[in-house]
Amino acid sequence: MLLAPAVLAYAVFAFYPMIDVIQLSFMKWNGLNADKHWVGLDNYRYVLHDDPVFWVAFKNTLIWTFLSVIFPPLIGFGLALGLNQNIPGRSPLRALFYMPVIIAPIAVATMWRWMFDPFFGLFNSLLSAAGWPNLIQDWLGDRNVALYSVFIGYVWEVAGFSMVLFLAGLQGVSQTLVEAARIDGAGRFQLFRYVTLPALRPTITIVLILSLINSLKAFDIVYGMTGGGPAQSTQMLAMWAYTQAMQLGDFGRGSAISVVLLLITVAIVIPYLRWTLKRQEAYQ
Amino acid sequence: MSGVASPFRQAGAERVDPLLVALWIALIIVAVVWIAPFIFIIFTSLKSNATVMGTGAFSPPTSLAWENFTNAWRRGDFGTTVVNSTIITVIKVPLGLMISAMAAYSLSRIQVWGHKVVFLAIVFGTMIPFQVMLAPIFGVVNDFHLINTYVGVILPYLAFGVPYQVFILHSFFREVPRELSEAAQIDGASHFTIFWRIFLPVSLPVLAALLILDFVATWNEFAMALVILQDPNMWTLPLGLQSFQSQFSSHYGELNAAIVMTVLPAVIVYLIFQRYFVSGLTTGAVKE
Repeated sequence: MLLAPAVLAYAVFAFYPMIDVIQLSFMKWNGLNADKHWVGLDNYRYVLHDDPVFWVAFKNTLIWTFLSVIFPPLIGFGLALGLNQNIPGRSPLRALFYMPVIIAPIAVATMWRWMFDPFFGLFNSLLSAAGWPNLIQDWLGDRNVALYSVFIGYVWEVAGFSMVLFLAGLQGVSQTLVEAARIDGAGRFQLFRYVTLPALRPTITIVLILSLINSLKAFDIVYGMTGGGPAQSTQMLAMWAYTQAMQLGDFGRGSAISVVLLLITVAIVIPYLRWTLKRQEAYQ
Repeated sequence: MSGVASPFRQAGAERVDPLLVALWIALIIVAVVWIAPFIFIIFTSLKSNATVMGTGAFSPPTSLAWENFTNAWRRGDFGTTVVNSTIITVIKVPLGLMISAMAAYSLSRIQVWGHKVVFLAIVFGTMIPFQVMLAPIFGVVNDFHLINTYVGVILPYLAFGVPYQVFILHSFFREVPRELSEAAQIDGASHFTIFWRIFLPVSLPVLAALLILDFVATWNEFAMALVILQDPNMWTLPLGLQSFQSQFSSHYGELNAAIVMTVLPAVIVYLIFQRYFVSGLTTGAVKE
């Protein structure tokens, strides 16, 4: 009975939409009136074959995910390694690097949009002050640059998250092992290569998976910075699904995009679940 | 241990380690880069439009244009959005933690039957992003005629908050010694009493961590609110900020004042409860 409220809320507002989205992806519906009918695979045919934006969004999501799995964890790892040493000011530094994580992503988007302002923004002001006017860009207005500009803001936002996880992992590295290796004459880099890195294996896996999943969630920051533009050059799957359903009023097509994205997510999550379960059993 | 007294030394070593000094300088440089956006935003929020256009990005404001804040507050209708955000957060966060704790308690009692399945279902739930299915969520809320209501946004928030909190609390409750609850059961205590009198008090630090994390997450949430709260009178702070940005993007000072006002509550909570953030995050992901 204590279980009921949580299960009920989850079933109705989280699990049911997941089923519903699959059902809707085979239907034509504008989301409002009663006219909802079966159209078979039409939505998928449209989305995968006729819709030019879908594949742009697909490609952007791939690039975004790829970059998200590399840069924020790498920076987070570097920061964590540094902050795990015996140096002054560790706590304020850690607090600072983590700060962007707790700021509303939509506020991060607004901040960076202003910093990327072509006329008075931070970047172009700095570049002209530094005497490199030829590097000045229309950061969010140039379709070749916009996706990467948004990504820079995203790195600032999320690197602290990886850092905190890595710091916790580093604290779990056995000090006795470190001492023993040092007494055996291991140098700094040997210590890192043969003691620290192997001990961090589980943490690294977790950080990479979470970065991957979180990158699929990146909605607010794109919505706030570019809204998918210019010319769909920053469009992503999650936002394109939203745009199709909520703004263009085609729930069927929107749902078909959602299903594709959901399948990708599940394909990532299931191997991770098996890995977690194995660890869980080893731990018990 | 002697970290504060003699920095820059390896454990047990007498000499200053040059590599550590280099590392420290590198960290300081990164820190300067990390803090620059904050400084730029705060400076701009205190400049008039003419000053923004006339002076360098990092030149401090000469005369403080506090009216940016009052103007932004009025123009962006912060009076409404702050109240909405507060109502939603104050109801959702404790309620969500309560139902998660109750669920975690009953799950920790199920010993043999299906505990692996339940565990998998929960972890699966923590990983599926709701951003993927905004439209069907809108559909469900619409079926209940709850679009543009507090309840309509709180219910999905509760649903998507449950898996992570249950995951953390369940792993914590499992560690509570069985003798403790069995003794109470022999004394005739009900499940609810055991939960309320024994499990909740021992897990206060974890509950505090989850409370703070969830406060910030709820306060900052944007995508779901965007879909469900379409009437400007029901908007939360993030929605208000986004609309402010699209309408008044050339009122530079006021826009930045609006950013500062939106971000400030979460930053204050973070600075006060810093250590809970870290413990709340890492108990879940790294140790489990």
